[in-house]
Amino acid sequence: MGAFFMRYHDTTITLRLQLYAVMLLALAPYLFPSAACAQEPAEPVCITCHSTLPEKFSQPVKLWRGSIHAENGIYCNGCHGGDPNDAANAMNPARGFLGVPTETAIPAFCGRCHVGVLKDYLASAHGRKLGKGGPTCVTCHSNHHVVKASLALINEQSCSRCHSFERARVIRAAMQETEAMIVAIDGRISGFKKTGTDTEKLEKELFAVRNQFHTLFHSVDVELVKNDSAQIQADLRKIQVVLDGLDTEHQRRMIAGAAAVSIMLMIALVLHLLRKTYD
Amino acid sequence: METDSSRRTFLGVCLGGLGIIAAAAVSWPLFRYLAPRSASETAGKVVIPDTDVRNGEAKFFEYAGSSAVLIRKKNGELAAFSAVCTHLGCIVQWEKAKQGFLCPCHGGRYSADGVVLAGPPPRPLKKLPFTVAGGNITIG
Amino acid sequence: MSLIKKIVNWTDVRVGVREVVEKELTGYLLPRNINSWYSMGSILLFAFALQVVTGMLLLIYYVPDADKAFKSVSTIMNDVPYGWLIRMCHVVGSNMMMLALLFHMLSVLFMGSYKKPRELNWVTGFILFTLVQAISLTGYLLPWSQLSFWATTVATNSASAIPVVGPYLVELLRGSQLVGPPTLGRFFALHVAVIPAVIAALIGAHLFLLKRTGVSTPPFGVQDTGNQWQGESYRYEDHPGGIPFFPDYAFEDMRSIAIYMAIFLAVVFFDPYLFFPTDAFLPANPFATPAHIKPEWYFLANYQTLKLFPNELIGLSLQAVAMTFLALLPFIDRGRERHPLKRRLFMTCSVAGLLLWIGLSIWGHFS
Repeated sequence: MGAFFMRYHDTTITLRLQLYAVMLLALAPYLFPSAACAQEPAEPVCITCHSTLPEKFSQPVKLWRGSIHAENGIYCNGCHGGDPNDAANAMNPARGFLGVPTETAIPAFCGRCHVGVLKDYLASAHGRKLGKGGPTCVTCHSNHHVVKASLALINEQSCSRCHSFERARVIRAAMQETEAMIVAIDGRISGFKKTGTDTEKLEKELFAVRNQFHTLFHSVDVELVKNDSAQIQADLRKIQVVLDGLDTEHQRRMIAGAAAVSIMLMIALVLHLLRKTYD
Repeated sequence: METDSSRRTFLGVCLGGLGIIAAAAVSWPLFRYLAPRSASETAGKVVIPDTDVRNGEAKFFEYAGSSAVLIRKKNGELAAFSAVCTHLGCIVQWEKAKQGFLCPCHGGRYSADGVVLAGPPPRPLKKLPFTVAGGNITIG
Repeated sequence: MSLIKKIVNWTDVRVGVREVVEKELTGYLLPRNINSWYSMGSILLFAFALQVVTGMLLLIYYVPDADKAFKSVSTIMNDVPYGWLIRMCHVVGSNMMMLALLFHMLSVLFMGSYKKPRELNWVTGFILFTLVQAISLTGYLLPWSQLSFWATTVATNSASAIPVVGPYLVELLRGSQLVGPPTLGRFFALHVAVIPAVIAALIGAHLFLLKRTGVSTPPFGVQDTGNQWQGESYRYEDHPGGIPFFPDYAFEDMRSIAIYMAIFLAVVFFDPYLFFPTDAFLPANPFATPAHIKPEWYFLANYQTLKLFPNELIGLSLQAVAMTFLALLPFIDRGRERHPLKRRLFMTCSVAGLLLWIGLSIWGHFS
């Protein structure tokens, strides 16, 4: 009977459940002193305060929520430093709080994590103009609402803020083919993931190749993009071979399934005829 | 009655035949499911000449369908690792000046022993077994 | 041929197998107007056996540890040869068994077979129905996926609506304040040891009762469709001049099982993902609730009922009342008539109830 008395929830109940969870966590130190330290609050204190502040201070939270960083669990303190667990010292420079970087400090700010991109950017025409009207990371990627990079970032509207689109168009064209391959492979991998296939290794491989490729763009050098694309496409083809193998395997399963179902139907038919001989 | 009985015999034979096919179709997957795993992972071995890696330098190569790296530390000691970053699968780089590995994707750092020094990697680099004999280093 | 005869003779003189065959198989007579719905029970027996066998096979590679469970299931699906087939059979099998169970209950309802003297057959069958729901629910947690984790969180949480003991009951079910490793331990024990044993015992009781009361006569194709049972003394309902169980009806049973298997295999090979939302393939994450957690299709009506009432206790009580009503149906509906078309009120109520259940399920699915 226990199974019957059940309750599934909609979003409001989810929130209520989370509230309970938070309340439980708050009570936990008194109930289970030893278990208390094992759990961490899901979100840093920054979000609790900033969400309630005027738009200027709350908008970053809203923008961040739709970002690739939020999706991957990179919170405010991941970039801005500070103490995410202590509201009083959350913005204390002694706890590593950085706040808003100056324009020339932006590439180094992002480059703490994106080291490969930083290197290529600094060596590029873009990077050499840093502080002299050249673009920083946020010029193209925006700041809090950073989304997964794609070729759509290279568009006439964005590039022609500073220069003509012609050069960018050439680079974009050079990247198009490889990018299309990456997008197609990405789609195939997520399709397999929905069937319970262990795609972790493939996902990581694609991630590595994709990163290598997107880093390459930051050099803003058409020749370099063209030269390295061959190697990147070869790496992508390796992933494609694995995916083709999975496709063949799934097709084989279908054929085996068709045979199994036919045998069962034949058995059913024979049994039916046998049954009729006794009528 | 005659026809019924001969029809039954015929159908019985058909049923028996189909039954044998069905039994075989069940037995084979069952046997494969229970059979011990074969050690097919021992297949690939990579041989690198001793002279290819100088002190403080690294050599990247392909191993078991993935990237690997062999380094010789400043003290002459050798070490072999999978070059795949344990964070999200990018290929790490060897930084000669710092005598350590750097992942260009999110700044993960590893020591020359593969231990995580900084950044997001959750685990140390995977160590690979190797042997040195007759001026050759054999990985795997 | 003579060798087989010799072996039969050898056993016959020792344990009297011919007598057993004569009494239980060839001499076990069933009503002449018996129909295919009577083989739903055999299908269920077969489906349960299949669940036991595939379940045992999965136990070889499954690890009931919160840190390793998801990985072990992923290994079964990807690395163990034909592991995917065994797992798909187990998952699809559980859903198809539930479907067959519903058909079995519906046929008993419409043919009035639950009426006296078969009240106990109905009650044991109904307990089996709830146990199958329980074994499905406990099995749901074992892969330790996002779906497992959150479906179990919400399912166990519903018990908190019960006054006074509710919150403690939730903790008792979970083995901890929130769903976690202790929950996996107890759900695993329930799923592979406790509930299967109880189900097997109740199947035994169900079959014993069937043997003692005899097979009911279908209310179709006969003049008097009323209940013949008087109630003053025990009487086995025999069917003189009926068709023998073996070979006649045994072939019909086997044919039904073969058809069931054909449908089952078609689902297993062509679209097992019918029963797998995407969250079923993501490892459990206690800090991230997925957007749309829905129960299995057979719990959708319950889910929707609870959503309809602002007070959880009302929704829960209503379901308890409905379940109790169904469980005690043979004691409530005591009319003599068994033909469905001659039972206007019963038919109206049950068809309306069925449509309500289907409607709520569909609503639950799309809400």
